Amino acid sequence: MNSIGEECTELKKKYDDCFNSWFSERFLKGDHDDSVCSSIFKVYQECVKNAMKQQNIDFKDIDKDVLGTDNEFKVPPSDNNS
Amino acid sequence: MKIWTSEHTFNHPWETVAQAAWRKYPNPMNPAVVGIDVVERKVVDGVLHTHRLVSSKWFFPRWAQALIGTAKICYASEQSEVNPNQRQMVLKTTNLTFCRYIAVDETVRYTPHPSDASKTLLTQEAVVTVQGVPLSSYMEDLLTNKISLNAGKGRQAIEWVIGKFDNEIKELATSACKSTDELLSQTKKSIDDITTTARRSMDDISSKAKKSLDDIEKFTKANANQRS
Repeated sequence: MNSIGEECTELKKKYDDCFNSWFSERFLKGDHDDSVCSSIFKVYQECVKNAMKQQNIDFKDIDKDVLGTDNEFKVPPSDNNS
Repeated sequence: MKIWTSEHTFNHPWETVAQAAWRKYPNPMNPAVVGIDVVERKVVDGVLHTHRLVSSKWFFPRWAQALIGTAKICYASEQSEVNPNQRQMVLKTTNLTFCRYIAVDETVRYTPHPSDASKTLLTQEAVVTVQGVPLSSYMEDLLTNKISLNAGKGRQAIEWVIGKFDNEIKELATSACKSTDELLSQTKKSIDDITTTARRSMDDISSKAKKSLDDIEKFTKANANQRS
């Protein structure tokens, strides 16, 4: 599976491999220490954040709660990106 | 607004399904998903919290293209929690206002099956809202059907992933493939049979037609000879 940013795909693959091993061998067996993959994760994260900036993906839209608040029945605000 | 729910049982233990869920993409059943990234991940009190960004390519039917465009990369945000002690995995996906005409909120839950702990229950719930587009409820129906179709593919995808790393399941998959192969070759045979019969009939018809034409020619020649 590719990353959202082409340049991050290699890093993503390395991180995914690390995570999948950790998830199966450690996390599901009771070891909750998630530091094993943290260094590769940091590098991968940096790359993703840059890619998101380049593609104008705004996290404010994601993190805002809509259901269960006053915004639920309103038309989403128009923005210049789409 | 349309609400859609579905339930499905996997004949695999929860741990197997949880691992498969992380390896779900890419798979041949969901070609529209073009990118996934982990934006945040941490373990808090023994629960794994993950935030992912999913990008997929949406193609719209012709009549909608004037309003929305031909194809778009749409982004969705997925928040999930995995609790290995309680054997619960929940994923909540919502699309961003990039695709502002359509809002899809989906919740997917994997838990041990209440009547058989060696199996896994999948429950899915989606709320679809379409605004600012004529025939909103038609669009909503379309999307709800698409979700239903994709949900079926999603389940196949999980089975497909599990098959990749579980030998026992591989054998099951092989026998399923054999059945499909058999079905396909039987269908091909039926089509061949029908074609052969049709060809024979056509040959029959054309040789009879030729014979009739020959007869007519002979008759015409004979008549012409008589008159001259």
